[in-house]
Order: sequence, then structure tokens, then C-alpha cells
Amino acid sequence: MTTPCSSAVAPTTQKTALLVASGGEVDELLTNVLASEGWSIQRVVDNQHILALARAKPFDLIVTGRETRVAEDVELLRKIRGARPHVRLIILADKFTPGDVISAMREGAFSYFSAPFEASELAEMVRAAMAEPCWDDGIEVLSGTPEWVSLTARCDLATADRLVQFLHGVRDPSIPEAEKDHVIFAFKEILINAMEHGGHFDPSQHVEISFIRARRAIACRVKDPGKGFSLEELRHAAAGSSPNDLFSHARVRDARGMRPGGFGILLAKKLVDELIYNEKGNEVVLVKYLDPPESPVI
Amino acid sequence: MGLQISIRESGDITILDLRGRSTIDGGESELLSNQLQKLVASGVRKLLLNLADLTQVDSSGLSIIVGTYVSLKRQGGDLGLLRPSGRVLEVLTVVHLIDAIPSFQDEAEALASFRPRGYSATS
Repeated sequence: MTTPCSSAVAPTTQKTALLVASGGEVDELLTNVLASEGWSIQRVVDNQHILALARAKPFDLIVTGRETRVAEDVELLRKIRGARPHVRLIILADKFTPGDVISAMREGAFSYFSAPFEASELAEMVRAAMAEPCWDDGIEVLSGTPEWVSLTARCDLATADRLVQFLHGVRDPSIPEAEKDHVIFAFKEILINAMEHGGHFDPSQHVEISFIRARRAIACRVKDPGKGFSLEELRHAAAGSSPNDLFSHARVRDARGMRPGGFGILLAKKLVDELIYNEKGNEVVLVKYLDPPESPVI
Repeated sequence: MGLQISIRESGDITILDLRGRSTIDGGESELLSNQLQKLVASGVRKLLLNLADLTQVDSSGLSIIVGTYVSLKRQGGDLGLLRPSGRVLEVLTVVHLIDAIPSFQDEAEALASFRPRGYSATS
């Protein structure tokens, strides 16, 4: 089990980033984001140069090039982490295989972007990597095959964001992008609920997660470390509101002086086909059914 | 991009132009919440949220919009939505908020909806 960072590299006067040139928009974007915060940037042409430099001195952030295979990037990360366990490395990949996301998570990549990806999302992740005062991986892969991945995630928003980006990096041509986006959206809502209400955003607490890819369905299981709840008692959540009065939960929250909230479960329910809670209410399974592939015309 | 909020006024109606996203991730929803709370605390009762350039919203953003709507209604005020589109419109539709909170494609029409019924600009 990973623990919150306590022994990262001491802060230096100027933060430094090591980048493999990817060319075009990505290089420009990374330069703009890093330079705007006063970071020093060093560019190299390939992974061999990264390894040599990263062994010689610590870098606050490393971003791989798009051209290399993810397996090579993961191997590079493994070697660097041998000397620098808290290195923050973001993998960019134009070429990838279905198991690459699991390998990247297992080895402790900070993040993973497979093409095509939104430049703005990469910029946000780079900013997140730059903002972390110190960093230890909050995601631990317990077991992983392309069909079934089990992991734990630390109860903090930054870890939730990183995990969600890893999911966006999964490329499965048999899952329509719109369906995938709905599952990830619903999963994120449930994950953050679990971290907040079950784990109280306490970084010493962890959420257990499994992803299962069946032939005609995707399932995600989330178990939080809390005491659980009953949906029937949730008068302050939209999922507990009357179908004829969408705002009844908001009025309850308003009257109780609670901060706005309560839409997470309702949104998740609407975006997947099934949302099943266990008796205690601290474990939930999301299921999204997939249409069978069309039969070839003979 | 995080969330950028620009504020302008049309008579007694305050218009917030939102650009970026309102999600829990980088504190954007908290920023929106703080801004709306300040406005309501300062006496603003008629709010129009221009969502034309809002690219993403999650449950935290929805909750703030609904919380502000309920709070304003309780105090005799009102809140409207202007030009939701893309993913934001999809989310509002999925939870049926698009039918529950007044939503407009045209700003002039949105502003007119805040005026008492029977009012005519030319009368």
C-alpha cells in the first residue's frame, strides 16, 4: 500500500522539466505551460538521453515523446524510479497496446495520454504535476489483465483525477467513445463520493476499485472505507428527491445550511444501466451494457 | 483551462459569463460557488448564467447552480440559464434540469423573462 509523500526531493530554487521533443502543438503547449510558471526546460531527442540525465540529477517533471512505444517508456520509468522513486513522469503515446495503461499505472507513471488527446487536458495534468509539492503514487494495481483490473486509490482529488485520466487513455475499438465517456463520468462521480463520504478525503484511507470488461458489458466496482449509508435516508441527495420535485433535496440542504451537493449518484444512475449498492452502502457496482457487434453481411 | 467568470449587469439583472469548466477537480466549482454566494449576499436577486463557453460541468457544478436557484427562489429572486450546449447541455438534460430551470438561447429573451408579466418595454 502506498503512503502519502513524506520524502520527496527537496524543493529547488527553480523547477526543472525534462522533455522528449514530440514536435508541433504538444511541444509548444508544454513550453507555454512550464515557462509561464518559471520552470527551466531541457529537451532531449530520445529516452536514452532522458535516462542518462535523470540518473545524473533530479528533475521535477519528465514527459516522454509521442513516438516511442509505451513499453519502452514504462521500462524507462522503471529504471529512473530505481534511483529516483518520486519522479513524476507523464507518458505520451501515439502507439499503444491494450495492456499499456495497466503497465503505466503499475510502474507509477504520473499520467498517461494516448492519441488522440485534448491538448487542454494535457496542460491541466502538467499543471497538476507542477502543483504537487511532493508526490508519491496513490494508485496501486493489485492485479491486472485486459479484462479485469483491481487496484486501490488514495482518498484525494489529485489521485482521482490521475486515475480518471488513465481510464481516458484506454483505447478499445469495441467500446464506442460516447459509451466510454459515460462510464468514466459515472465512475468519477461515484469515486469522488466514495473518497469524500467514505474516506473523508483522508490520504491515509484508500478506495478499492475493480474494472471488468465482459463481452457485452463494462462493470466498475468501488468500495470505500466508510460506514456506508442507505439511499432511503438520503433526503439531501438528488437521488432521494421525488421524481416530481427535482429541488426537494436542495431545499433540505438549504434549510440545514449544508453546502450545495447531492447530484453525484443521480448523474451516475442516469449515465450507466445499473447502479447496485451492497447492503451496508459502502460498495457499489456500475454496469454499462454494450450493443453486440453487428454481424457481417454474407 | 479552469474557469473564468466575467460579470456584467443589465438593469437589476446580473449576468455571469462562464468560460471553461465547472468541475470539482481544480476548485473551479468552488470558485463559482464563492462568486455566486458573494453576489447573493450583496443583494443580487436576478441572475443569468451564460453557459455558451462552459465546456464541462459535473455534479459539483450542477449542485451549485441548483443550490443558488433554490436560495434565490426562497428570497423572491430568480435564476436563468443562457445557451447551454455540448456536454453541459447533455448533463443538464440527463438529470432533467433543463426542464426545471428556465433556459434560453437568446439573451434578450432571457432578460425579458425576469421582468414582471405584462411589462412591456414600449409601454
